[in-house]
Amino acid sequence: MFSDMSAGKPGSSLLCRPVSEDQAPVFERVSPAYNLCSERYTVGERSFSRQYAHIYATRLMQMRPLLSERAQQKWGSDVLIRKLCDLQTGEQCCIVGTLFKRMELQPSILKEISEEHNLLPQPARVKFISDTDELILEDELQRIKLEGNIHRDKCVTGSVVAVFGAEKNDGKFTVEDFCLADLPLQTPRPVLTSDRFVLLVSGLGLGSSNADSMLGLQLLVDMVTGQLGGEGEQSGAANISRVLLAGNLLSQNTQDKDAHTKPKFLTKKTQAGSVEAMRLLDELLHQLAASVPVDVMPGQFDPTNYTLPQQPLHRCMFPLASVFPTLTLASNPHQAHIHGVRFLGTSGQNVCDIQKYSSMEDHLEILEETLRLRHLAPTAPDTLGCYPFYQKDPFILEECPHVYFSGNAPEFGSKLITGADGQEVLLVCVPDFSSCQTACLVNLRTLTCEPLAFSAFSAHEEDESEMNVSH
Amino acid sequence: MDELYLDNIDEFVNDHDKIVTYKWLSLTLGVHVNTAKQMLYHYLDHKRKESSAPLHATYLVSGKFVDNGQTSHKVSVVKEDQLEDVKSRMSLVVSVHVYSVQKALLKDSGPLYGVDYDAVKDNLKNCSRYSAIRCASAVPRSSVELQQARPTQPAPAPEPEHKKSTTNGDATPASKPSTKPQKGIMGMFANKSALKNQDSGKEVKSEQKEDAPVVDEPKSKPAAKANPMMNFFSSQAAKKPDKTVKQEEAAPSSSSAEQQRPSSQPEETQAAAAAAAAVEPPKNSKKDSRSKTKRMEDSDSEEEKMDKKKRRRIKKPEPDSSDEDVIPDSPQQMETREASPSPKKKVESVSQSHGNCEMKTRKRRRVLKSRTFVDDEGCIVTEKGYESESYSEAEDDVQAPKHAAKDPLPAKQPASSKQDDKKSQKKASANSNKGTKQASIMGFFQKK
Repeated sequence: MFSDMSAGKPGSSLLCRPVSEDQAPVFERVSPAYNLCSERYTVGERSFSRQYAHIYATRLMQMRPLLSERAQQKWGSDVLIRKLCDLQTGEQCCIVGTLFKRMELQPSILKEISEEHNLLPQPARVKFISDTDELILEDELQRIKLEGNIHRDKCVTGSVVAVFGAEKNDGKFTVEDFCLADLPLQTPRPVLTSDRFVLLVSGLGLGSSNADSMLGLQLLVDMVTGQLGGEGEQSGAANISRVLLAGNLLSQNTQDKDAHTKPKFLTKKTQAGSVEAMRLLDELLHQLAASVPVDVMPGQFDPTNYTLPQQPLHRCMFPLASVFPTLTLASNPHQAHIHGVRFLGTSGQNVCDIQKYSSMEDHLEILEETLRLRHLAPTAPDTLGCYPFYQKDPFILEECPHVYFSGNAPEFGSKLITGADGQEVLLVCVPDFSSCQTACLVNLRTLTCEPLAFSAFSAHEEDESEMNVSH
Repeated sequence: MDELYLDNIDEFVNDHDKIVTYKWLSLTLGVHVNTAKQMLYHYLDHKRKESSAPLHATYLVSGKFVDNGQTSHKVSVVKEDQLEDVKSRMSLVVSVHVYSVQKALLKDSGPLYGVDYDAVKDNLKNCSRYSAIRCASAVPRSSVELQQARPTQPAPAPEPEHKKSTTNGDATPASKPSTKPQKGIMGMFANKSALKNQDSGKEVKSEQKEDAPVVDEPKSKPAAKANPMMNFFSSQAAKKPDKTVKQEEAAPSSSSAEQQRPSSQPEETQAAAAAAAAVEPPKNSKKDSRSKTKRMEDSDSEEEKMDKKKRRRIKKPEPDSSDEDVIPDSPQQMETREASPSPKKKVESVSQSHGNCEMKTRKRRRVLKSRTFVDDEGCIVTEKGYESESYSEAEDDVQAPKHAAKDPLPAKQPASSKQDDKKSQKKASANSNKGTKQASIMGFFQKK
C-alpha cells in the first residue's frame, strides 16, 4: 500500500525547526519504460460517406472464428455450427451472430420526426430497457428471434455471441446456452522488483461554476509533484511513474448548450466556456508535466471530436505544457505499455452507454462484461457514436490488457479477474474527481489498486469524517 | 541558518494580512518546500511562545484510512483544532505538517486554493524547482526541437513560385464556383479593385513578413497550430490548392529567411487570377505592370517600406487572436479559414472572389493621404497619395488593441465577422467604396 511504503521514514518530521539549508532532500522520479500503442485508435483521413453496416460486417467476420473455437471448447468439438440460412427446425446446433435488442424506448429519430406517430420528443431517461424488449440474432444474411436461457436485460446490441439451442416450429430460436468470446490471450507481465505506481484520475471538471474540487485538485498535483507531505510521502510519490488523466478534463458546464440554436451574430462577443477552462487545464498540466510524465485522454466534454475513437486533444491548446516532452496527448480509448504492463481503457462513454441500455448498474460489472465480450464498445455504432470503420473494428480486444480501466465512474471500484488461460486483469473504475475527490493509484508490482482521497474543510462541515471518506 | 525568515513571515502574516501557505513561502523565499514547512512551524511555535498573538494554522495530514474494509490513502487539509481528531481516525499517519499560517480563522479552505493558485501562476516556470521530486525527462524543449517535433513541417515551404497553377489559393472547392459570380460583379469595379488588390497584396505580403517574426516568438502556438490543422483539412480539399495553401501556411511558420518566398507565392496566385484577389493577394512585377496609374506605382514602391513598418505595428496582435479563434470554430469554418493564408487579412471583398474568404476583421482600404518626407536633395516634400490603411469592420478605431488581455475580443470579432463576410460577399459592390468615403453597406455590420 502506498501509505505503508511512505510511512517508514522516522526522524524526519516536519514539525520542527529548519536545521540547515541543504538538508532538504530531492528524490528522483522513476522513469518508466513507456510504449504508446496509438496507431489503432488514430483515425487519419476520415470519410463519412460510408454506411455503418460495414463495421458490423467486419466485426462479425473477425469474431466468428474466435467464437466458433469457444463454442467447440464449451459444447464439444462435434457441435454443429450453422449459419442461419442452413438452420433446420428442431436440430440442436450452435449459431454465431451479432445480437440486436429491439427496445421500444430506444430513442429513434425516425419516430420523432414521423408525422403519423405524432410523438412528442421523449424526456431524457436514465434507462431505456423495458419488458417488451426482444433479442434478435443476426448473421451475415438472416436474423432470428431469440428466447430462452439468455439474459435479455444484460445483453446489449452489437455484442457478438454464440448460442446453442434449436429452432422451434414458430420460427424462433430457443436458447439453451450461450457463450461469449471471453478474454484473449495475454502476454505475461514482467516481474518488477520495486513498487511502481501509476496514478489514474478522471473527471477533473475544470471550468465548472462550482469550484469545490479545485483545492482537492491542487492537493493532488502537489502530492504527485512532491511538494506536499513529509519526506516519506515525497519519496513515495517519486515512485509514481506516470499520471493518466482519463477524460472529462473539462466540466459539462463548459459545453454551450445553446451554441447550436443561437444565431452567430448574437453570440459574437461571448467567449466559449471552454476557453478559460482550457487555460486552467494548461496551467495544471504544466505543473504536472514539469515533474511527471502525463497521458491526457479526452472525454465526453472535452474539445475534440464526438465519435469514438476520440482523437487526442490538440497540442496547440497547451502552449505552456506542450514544451515538455513528458506530456503525451492520447486518444480515447487509450492503450499503452508502462513498465511492460499493458494498460487499456476509455473515458467511460462506452460503459455509460451500456448502462443506459441494459439492466446492469455497476460500472465494474459492465467493465467485466465488455472484457468477456472481447469488445470495448459493443453498442457502437448503434447508440454510441463511432466512426464508420470498414476494414477492421479496432474496438475488438486482440490482446488481453493487464490493467483495464474506464473513467468517470460514480465511485471507485477495482477488481482482479482471472481468465481461463491464466490471464490476470485488474479492472479499475476511476471515479469522477470533481464529485468524489478520489484518484486511483495502481501498483504495478502487485497489480493492485488503491484509492487516493483528498479533502479540505469548509464552513458547513461539522463532521469532517463524512466528507473525507473515499466513496 | 539565519532567522531572517521569521521576520519575513511575521511581516507577511501580520503586516500584509496574507495567508502564508508553505508553497507560497517556498516560492517567495526561494527555498525547498520542506524547509518552508519547517519555517512555518518554527514561526508558529516561536510566535506562540512569545506572545499570544492570534495566529491560526492549518495542517496537512495524510495517512492510511480504513473505511468499510476499504483502505485508502487519504490526504486532507485540516484546521488546527481538528488535527488530533483526524489523526486519531487514521490507522497510520504518514505525514503531518503545517499547511498555512494566517491571522484570521479560516472558515473555508477556498482562500488556500486562491493563494496557491496565484503563487504558482506568478512562478510558472519555477513551479517544480523547489519541490522534492525532480524528473530527469521533464526538460522543456527548445523551440528548435519543437519545430522538429511538429509532424508535418513541410519541406515544400520554399517551393518555387511557379507552382501555382490554380486561379485562387483558396483550398476549398466550394470557393471556386463562387469566383465566377464574383468576377462578374468585379468587372464593374475593376479599377478600384485592381488598386485594392495591389494594396491588399502589399498588405498581406508585409503581413506575412511580419508574421514570420511574430510567429517565431516564444509562443510557437500559432504556427504549430496552423500547420497540423491546415494539413488536416487540406487533405480533404482539392489537392493543388492544398499544396498552395500549405506552402503558404508553412511559410510563416518557417524561419524568417523564407519570408520572401511565401510572400511571392501568393503573388503568383493573384497574378494568375484575373482581377480576383485570392486570399493571398499578389504582389509581383506582373501586378505592378498592371497598375492603373503611374502614380500608383510610385506610391506603391515608396509606400511599401513605410507600410510595412506601419503595418507591423498594427498587425502584431492579430496572428495570436486569429489563431486562437480557429480552434473553437466548426471544422467547416476552419477549413475555409485555413484556406486563407496565414494572418488572414480581410482583403476588400470586392476583389475577393471567394465566398469563403474567412479573413479577419481587419480590412484595408485605400485612403487619399498627404505624406511629408525629405527627399534626397534635403527638401521637405509633401505629396498626396493613396495609402493603405487598416480599419476594422467592427470597430471604427484603426489601432488594433495591443494588449493580450484584449485578445479575446479581436478573436471573437474574426469569428463573427466571418459570418458577416459570408453575407457581405454577395454585396461585394458595397465594399468597393473605400476610396470615396461613401457610406458603405458595411456600416450595417460595423456596429457589431
